[in-house]
Amino acid sequence: MRPGRQLAVLGFIFVVLYLLVFFSGGASGGWKDRLEPRLGLDLIGGTRMTLEATNTVDGKPPTAENLEEARQIIESRVNAYGVAEAEVVTEGNRNIVISLPGQNRDLTDVGEAAELRFRKVLKAADGSGAAAAPAPSPSVSAAPPGSVKPSGSASPKPSGSASPKASASAKVTASPSAGGQGGMAPAPSASATPTPSASPSAAAPSPSASAEPVPQSIEQQRQAVQQKVGAAAWAAASGLQAPADLTADPSLADKLKPFGTLSPQEIAVLTPEMQFNVPTITCAQLDKRPAGSIKDPKQKAVACEAGAKNLLDVAKVEGTDVKNASAQLDQTSSWVVSLNFTGGGQEKWTALTRESFNNEGQACDQTALGQDGKCRVAVVLDNKIVSSPEIQGVLTGDSQITGSFDNKSANALASQLRYGALPVTFEPQESQNVTATLGDSHLKAGLLAAGIGMLLVIIYSFFYYRLLGSVIFLSLVLSALLVFGALVVLGRSIGFTLTLAGIAGMIVSLGVAADSFVIYFERLKDEIREGRSPRSAVPRAWIRARRTIISANAITLMSAVVLYIVSVGAVKGFAFALGLATVLDLVVVFLFRHPIMTMFARTRAFLSPRVSGLGRALPARSAESGTARNPRVKEA
Amino acid sequence: MAKSGLAARLYRGEADLNIVGKRKLWFGVAGALVLIAVLSFAFNGFKLGIEFAGGNSFQVPASVGTLDRAETVVDDALAKEAPGVEVVTAQKVGGAGGETYEMRTGQLSQEQANAAKTAMAQEFGIQADQISGSQVSEAWGSQVTSRAFLGLLIFLAVVSIYLVLRFEWRMAVAAIVSLLTNLVLTSGIYSLVGFEVTPSTIIGFLTILGFALYDVVVVFDKVQENTRGITANNNLTYGEASNLALNQSLMRSLNTSVVALLPVGGLLFIGAGLLGAGTLKDLGLVLFVGMAVAFLTSILLATPLLVLLKNQDPRISAHNKRVLSRRAAVARGEVTPKGAPRPAPTGDQPVDPDAALAGVAPKVGARPTGKRPSGARGGRPGGGGGNRPGGAKRR
Repeated sequence: MRPGRQLAVLGFIFVVLYLLVFFSGGASGGWKDRLEPRLGLDLIGGTRMTLEATNTVDGKPPTAENLEEARQIIESRVNAYGVAEAEVVTEGNRNIVISLPGQNRDLTDVGEAAELRFRKVLKAADGSGAAAAPAPSPSVSAAPPGSVKPSGSASPKPSGSASPKASASAKVTASPSAGGQGGMAPAPSASATPTPSASPSAAAPSPSASAEPVPQSIEQQRQAVQQKVGAAAWAAASGLQAPADLTADPSLADKLKPFGTLSPQEIAVLTPEMQFNVPTITCAQLDKRPAGSIKDPKQKAVACEAGAKNLLDVAKVEGTDVKNASAQLDQTSSWVVSLNFTGGGQEKWTALTRESFNNEGQACDQTALGQDGKCRVAVVLDNKIVSSPEIQGVLTGDSQITGSFDNKSANALASQLRYGALPVTFEPQESQNVTATLGDSHLKAGLLAAGIGMLLVIIYSFFYYRLLGSVIFLSLVLSALLVFGALVVLGRSIGFTLTLAGIAGMIVSLGVAADSFVIYFERLKDEIREGRSPRSAVPRAWIRARRTIISANAITLMSAVVLYIVSVGAVKGFAFALGLATVLDLVVVFLFRHPIMTMFARTRAFLSPRVSGLGRALPARSAESGTARNPRVKEA
Repeated sequence: MAKSGLAARLYRGEADLNIVGKRKLWFGVAGALVLIAVLSFAFNGFKLGIEFAGGNSFQVPASVGTLDRAETVVDDALAKEAPGVEVVTAQKVGGAGGETYEMRTGQLSQEQANAAKTAMAQEFGIQADQISGSQVSEAWGSQVTSRAFLGLLIFLAVVSIYLVLRFEWRMAVAAIVSLLTNLVLTSGIYSLVGFEVTPSTIIGFLTILGFALYDVVVVFDKVQENTRGITANNNLTYGEASNLALNQSLMRSLNTSVVALLPVGGLLFIGAGLLGAGTLKDLGLVLFVGMAVAFLTSILLATPLLVLLKNQDPRISAHNKRVLSRRAAVARGEVTPKGAPRPAPTGDQPVDPDAALAGVAPKVGARPTGKRPSGARGGRPGGGGGNRPGGAKRR
């Protein structure tokens, strides 16, 4: 490649990078705002939220180990937002404090979810509150990508106006795949906008049939609700044996209407059957029930998934039975979530999958069956169904949840499963803004240090390499501009934030970048010493130095990549910065320094010892004037 | 002359320092230092910062004044009640519940925390219950450290494979051993001196990884070039050829280290001088120590170690024997050497057998690549001879 062309490529990279800086998505405000890289927690402060933890078993503060485990899971979850360096600490004996850089960030979903239960899906119904009874809907049965079997056959999918959600489809197979051949139809899905229709009708009230014994306090709360909705509505609701079909019985809808106005807290005290059977109770209400409303494993429960209400069996497997969960790539390179149970948990899980697979006692209603006619088992986190895979076999070992996951959603589910394995619930407190811990003075000092460091390097290179020092100088300026542009763009696109440590790392990396010059110039010196003309020495030295520079940079890059993949938290951010700096160093070396040197070598001044500092490598020629002076130069 | 001569020879890569020959000395020194470092780990341990050890936090209502004043007062109270503990970070926390200042401090016992709270309240002129205090866990969990070390192990495995492919297994072993020595010695200095270990220290520590290997790779690159096809002629032992390579890349190593250390020095100067403590100082310090150690280990340890390993190779050891016996024969006058007669080692060379070897080393076939016509060497026989007789033995 001719030197001009390489410089053109570099120029192109520059233009593109800075176009991104100024005009890419998220760029807004004046010129100055667009040029601002995202700064870290220590430099500009951020948002803080406190999560208060409660042990779900006895209501006491959780054990220190549980709290620490929860802290770690939250930390990995927070860091999944990008390479922003978040801070997650425990405070006292029941608080976890999360701080993220940037003011007024929304942190609500970070501390979300807690209790994990595996419940067989007994029945499913529309949860939108719409009048339509569950009806087969061809639009939902579209199979997820990669599914083998065509779907959309017999099994009715409860759905209102359907918008199939890819992540909702899933199945569980034994790993490494024992009985999971068929594709799974997406789980029921419905539009979530509640539109309670009211068409009056009369229904025969029948006596209440609350199956399970309930604690006294809940009984009292239930009575309060009963009074609120009125006796008629309560009686109508209690009499329902199945989700009421309001279109068939318009007067019933009127009677049940008061349930639509209940608060989520009031909904939570109703029996599961009532929550399920009363169509005017919508998923919007169910999803907002207070944390832990359906945590009791001995009670049936109602939970929503993608807008459909599901009546769930008692929880036969609990979160604490899960030993580990991880996102993995299976043989077909699609993402799955692998589940690993504890000893006792495995037995329970095997029993649960057996009764689901065989649909023992026809416990699962037609509406709740998966596409292959097997029961589904819902993974319930807190009040919501995370996933409700159809059971594809009796699973006696590790199990996999497959579906159309991508890297992110598989990791999210695995993290939720691990998180849910903790016997702890969290109540998020209000979020607050915090100021920087280090602040302006440190930022200025850091930049000052950068300035001094670079100045020293440049003085040294001018001293040692004379005019060639200007090449180093220009390359460092270029590197700095590239790094800065990349920081701004990455800050916006992947949330990369710059902490003071990051700034220091960048300073150091620029120093190391200058080092690849030393390799090159020393090579050049060798070549000239061997009697080559600068013109022929430059390409030869380049070929040899390139090999060294590439292998040396390859090692740095390796360390960056390995650390980025393996490590968490601040180290991950650091590894990213290191890798970025190394790649940009290579860009500058190949696209700037080499062509510039090639052009330089064509000039006459290049040969003069005074100008280039290379001529001194010729001992014979410089013996008279050079040796007296040069040594002192080098000792400097 | 000795001084300027050394610098000039350094510049030309002709310093003739006999580093490989004295390898027993380096190994001994390195071994002793590693031992001291390990003993220090065992007995001294490390001084961990609040980020690892956890600490206490105090919330003071923002009505007491500026953040700076609050920090000073808290610091004073701590100095009285719990000497040695100070405010690590001070932040303003704002929300619907009013604004507070949050100070994180080192670890306090329950009594100390209560006493400090009372002292603060007195100084601020507010009720003690307006200040809340609690214990804070480490921000840098053990998980971060353990994952970082897992990453380190994986990196070592990957880089070993790379070095084996790029060079050969002996070079890989020598490079990895010198890297490990570097890491152990750097940590040893931290443990011995009692510098505080903070997250920045760990991060700086990981930066050294790449840097130390970088140095070694550059030297080994030259060694490999110099020793390619070395068994084909009888002029140099492997050790001598490596020593020559080392000398030729010495200036580069020195330059590299200076160029890399200058900005680090700037960091350290600003961090420690202007700010007193904090991220900049921590990072500057660990990099400074680590890079200096990396420079030394890459020169003094990696190549001698490589020679030691290489000499175990039957082919190389046979070659070395051949070279030495031939040289002995030349000395006895039985065989006429191919090159021009060599002047005796001059006064500025240390007189010991190894040094004599080193003197021989650069003389013949300085570049076994054979690309340079021998005429070039002969072309300037007196080059540099004017003021430095020793130079003549080189070219």
